[in-house]
Amino acid sequence: MSRLTELALVAALMFGATGSHAAGRYEGIGRAATPAEVKAWDIDVRPDFKGLPAGSGSVDHGMEVWEAKCASCHGTFGESNEVFTPIVGGTTKEDIETGRVGAYIRGDAPQRTTLMKVATVSTLWDYIHRAMPWNAPKSLSVDDTYAVLAYILNLGEIVPADFVLSDRNIADVQKRMPNRNGMTTRHGLWDVKGKPDVKNVACMKDCRTDITIGSSLPDYARDAHGDLSAQNRTVGPVRGQHTGNATAAAAIKPHPALELMKKNGCSGCHGIDSKVLGPGFREVAKRYKDDKGAESSLSARIRKGSSGNWGDVAMPAQSQVSDADLGALVKWILSGSPEN
Amino acid sequence: MAAGPMRIRAASNGTETEVKILMSHDMETGQRKDASGNLIPAHHITEITATHNGRVVLAGQFGPAVAKNPYLQFKFKGGAKGDKVSVSWVDNKGEKRTDEVVVS
Repeated sequence: MSRLTELALVAALMFGATGSHAAGRYEGIGRAATPAEVKAWDIDVRPDFKGLPAGSGSVDHGMEVWEAKCASCHGTFGESNEVFTPIVGGTTKEDIETGRVGAYIRGDAPQRTTLMKVATVSTLWDYIHRAMPWNAPKSLSVDDTYAVLAYILNLGEIVPADFVLSDRNIADVQKRMPNRNGMTTRHGLWDVKGKPDVKNVACMKDCRTDITIGSSLPDYARDAHGDLSAQNRTVGPVRGQHTGNATAAAAIKPHPALELMKKNGCSGCHGIDSKVLGPGFREVAKRYKDDKGAESSLSARIRKGSSGNWGDVAMPAQSQVSDADLGALVKWILSGSPEN
Repeated sequence: MAAGPMRIRAASNGTETEVKILMSHDMETGQRKDASGNLIPAHHITEITATHNGRVVLAGQFGPAVAKNPYLQFKFKGGAKGDKVSVSWVDNKGEKRTDEVVVS
């Protein structure tokens, strides 16, 4: 669900909860949301720290949680660029003083890290608490979230190594965020009266009434590199079009395991054909094709996590996968991961 | 830019110790030009040494092809919790830096 719809729903629920004057306008429709229902929706943490639960966590404890749950994708020092852009890096002591990341002004940053971009520390807390770790979101306790955030802030040299981050001192940390003054709010994305970042002036005279496409790539040229959509990772925004024979591609129904794989987060680290962070599924099928016990051993490794079989990056335990999904996925992987 | 401290993590599993190092260094190749077209002089690490309780466990030579803020990971046999692992580098301008961690 988009954040906007989510906010609108929360607003609607709160409106309902305020009671009698709402009932007058929508008599006989629904009922007021209970405070518990509103609370279940109202999970965000705002830049003024409204919604932030009380708690605390040290850099040292954050390091333990990080090593166990975060480092396999983000790297020990938040430096990994393999799956995501790095969390840490690109900020300097001067940036912490000024609140503007100098690399943007000088233009010498090869890429943007999380600490270069984020303006509000509350956003980090909120995002980690809601969405991380990727295979088991919302599994971090409040204190663990404080600890992980303290560890990240320490890597960025925003807080010292003996720091204990809590709801009482997080406002002081906000005053040291490297890009705290880098966020602009005077534009259309923030305020409906702000200046939009695109301009579309309505045509008032001599306007064309019909549009014909003048030229397009012929099929043989579009198809020069195969089906582009099949060459992209199955996670995130789609970056490739179906090229080649369009009707044939539409007629083929995708294998149901592809949906299961996305749902359970496998595609974050595994490709179908080739290695991303972990091995490609067909590589796995090839290695175990003569192994009769592969089905149970693979199931156990997915469930409990595993390391050392395919390189340095460990596979975290996937406790969120249901038994039925796990069985179906393992069968699908061992059968060579058919796509339809 | 003065080089900041290295971040080092050393963890022993009983038989071997895994060391991860994130160095903070500009690693200028000497090939790049600044905004006014002048060559930026080379400035990169040339030697790196890791010791375990004083014994050298890794010695290496770095050149201009190594990325900015290099990351290095290696394992050595032995090492126990509480031991000291020390890493030092020297760059082509003669600057040095040494950092030490306790194996966990």
